Amino acid sequence: MPLITRIFLKSGIVFFIASLVTGVALQIDSIALPPLLPLFWHMLMLGWITQIIMGVSMWMFPGRVREESFKNQRWAWIAYFSLNIGLWLRVLGEPAVNSSDALVWKVLLITSALLQLIAVISYALEIWPRVRGKKERVTKKNIQRSED
Amino acid sequence: MPNVSVWMLRLSLFYLITGASIGSLLLINKAVLISYKLWALLPVHIELLIFGWIIQFTLGTAYWILPRLLISKDRGSELLANFMLLSLNAGILLVILSELFYSLSALALPGRILETLAVILFAGLHWKRIASYANH
Repeated sequence: MPLITRIFLKSGIVFFIASLVTGVALQIDSIALPPLLPLFWHMLMLGWITQIIMGVSMWMFPGRVREESFKNQRWAWIAYFSLNIGLWLRVLGEPAVNSSDALVWKVLLITSALLQLIAVISYALEIWPRVRGKKERVTKKNIQRSED
Repeated sequence: MPNVSVWMLRLSLFYLITGASIGSLLLINKAVLISYKLWALLPVHIELLIFGWIIQFTLGTAYWILPRLLISKDRGSELLANFMLLSLNAGILLVILSELFYSLSALALPGRILETLAVILFAGLHWKRIASYANH
């Protein structure tokens, strides 16, 4: 299993636990703040499920470059860092922006929004060329061989 | 990778980017109010990412990766698989239209029926493919 997949899966598990802890907090009246609900759902659906899908597909889908390097896997790494930094910034910023007018929280939340969008675009750039039929793969291989 | 999976996976990536763009806009709207009206996009954001992205991606991958049928050595009826693809995506589009335009809210019911049909087709196509070779 490549490093990028291992790191995606382990980060996904951390978000899985964090989301369920948030889910428990939502059931306790004294700490069930309204901004926790979107955090619960986003940590679960983006931090856990989407992150697991991304990590496993980068490993299992055809056309993986086996030599691991940032150059070979740049979109995957950009997706990983943008998604995780973006989501943690949201965890910090979303409850704060509800209780404070300070500019810093607004900037944090906007940065989080942009990073999460960058993450999914980078993931699509990594995986799109690897989603292809057998015929397309054979043709590409033949072209590559004739070029060699 | 079979054509049905290629279509489902590429469509799911398209829905992922569209849904995440709306999500980003909604989050920015939370930090700096652009318009209250943007909140009307929340159900579209959810539909795109739950059905369009997560469900479609997992169904498309399962169709490709689960073991083939033990006797015929294929993935079952290709016609039904294409119908599953069309049904799921027509359902998603109808639900989105019903969320976007009040005058089209009646489309939600046929949309959900089409999505259900797609999942029933998925179950029918994959039931016998969920098998262990050790038992044969």
